[in-house]
Amino acid sequence: MMQRRLRVLLLVFSLVILQTTIFTHLHVFGAIPDLLLVATVAVAYNQGPQAGALFGFFSGLVLDFFLVSPFGLSAISNSVTGWAIGTFQAGMAFQTRRTQVFLAALGGVIGGTVFMVVGGVVGVAGYLSLYSVQVIVAGSIWDAVVSVPIFMFVHWALMTERLRRY
Amino acid sequence: MAFVKRNVRWQPILVVLLVAALLLVALDQRGSGPITAVKRVAREVISPVQTGVNSVFNPVRDLFDGVINYGQLRDRNLDLKRTNEVLQGKLLRERAVGSKVGELEKLLDLPTFEDATGVAARVVGGSPSNFERTVSINKGTSSGIQVGQPVVAGAGLVGKVTAVSRTVSTVTLINSSGFGVGVRLENSNEQGIAEGKSGESQMKLSFLTNVKIVVKKGELTFTSATTDAVFPPDIPVARVVSSQKLAGALEPTVILEPVVNLDDLTYVKVLR
Repeated sequence: MMQRRLRVLLLVFSLVILQTTIFTHLHVFGAIPDLLLVATVAVAYNQGPQAGALFGFFSGLVLDFFLVSPFGLSAISNSVTGWAIGTFQAGMAFQTRRTQVFLAALGGVIGGTVFMVVGGVVGVAGYLSLYSVQVIVAGSIWDAVVSVPIFMFVHWALMTERLRRY
Repeated sequence: MAFVKRNVRWQPILVVLLVAALLLVALDQRGSGPITAVKRVAREVISPVQTGVNSVFNPVRDLFDGVINYGQLRDRNLDLKRTNEVLQGKLLRERAVGSKVGELEKLLDLPTFEDATGVAARVVGGSPSNFERTVSINKGTSSGIQVGQPVVAGAGLVGKVTAVSRTVSTVTLINSSGFGVGVRLENSNEQGIAEGKSGESQMKLSFLTNVKIVVKKGELTFTSATTDAVFPPDIPVARVVSSQKLAGALEPTVILEPVVNLDDLTYVKVLR
């Protein structure tokens, strides 16, 4: 259990470092992938809506430390995304590698939309715009692209000791 | 492939998390000291790792940029050489006028852009979010940088410092939506506010002091010299790209292009 927590901490720490360094240079159509949002989707996919919402909340808070937008905004968008994806995938009949990619893109759309709307409502200028919609679409494609390695990373982090021996 | 069909019920945990997050947003919007302090500590803790990763990754990124954009870089180098020659000539011609202006400024005791001391810094990263226009620089409080200080590059204004830790600072760029700079126009000296447009690299000029003036394409805007201005006066901000008066509009629609290429920043100077 302790090792599992350490692995989850390592997961969050690694993704924050990547998000705030290398990935800040990789803009395509004005967007970069949201690694912690994709990890939230992966946790929701593996563990369900509650774990997804909790992981999304705390990983969002960690990312908020490095943003100039209001503190807590990523926590809101990530926890809602975790909950929504967890609920959605629980009702799915079949799950494949393609499902993961689709869910990552869907998570990008949900997370980006919640971030844009809540940011606009709390008064951040320029969030409610057509450009934000373009960024959400481009960002969700990016999220789908990076989803496969992140899902594997999350799967490793969440694996119990008993399963690891197999 | 696995068959999954779980029964999902509404749980109050999401409500609790959302209320907690909204409280944090509200506290931050009111300028809560503890949140700012915690943010600063988090940045301090992680900045050595970020610096290490950047120092490893930057040469690789530069190499890729150099290989992929070799043609563009060669053309740009030629352009810069030509521009340099033109500017050298212009500088020599303006030297005579400049000495007279300098004397007049001394007589009137006017502060100038050159009076401000600065800290040179390297841009080490962009924004980690899709909804912000910021860059990270490799200098922080240990070099005397504070929140609110203006940031310039060779040609003009870049933005201002909006978050700072011991070794890293975040600079919000002038073309961020919601960012406004008090400016004056080069020819008429009329004042206005240059504002970022949502998601676009260009800016717009609003709240002109005289709405009847004719703004010419190519005209420069400089930071204005108002008493409570954030920026020192006379820093070049942007160039007029287009100006048109729409029927029924109170003021002309003036679109500006920042004089500094904000998408390609390498070194900046933080003014103190």
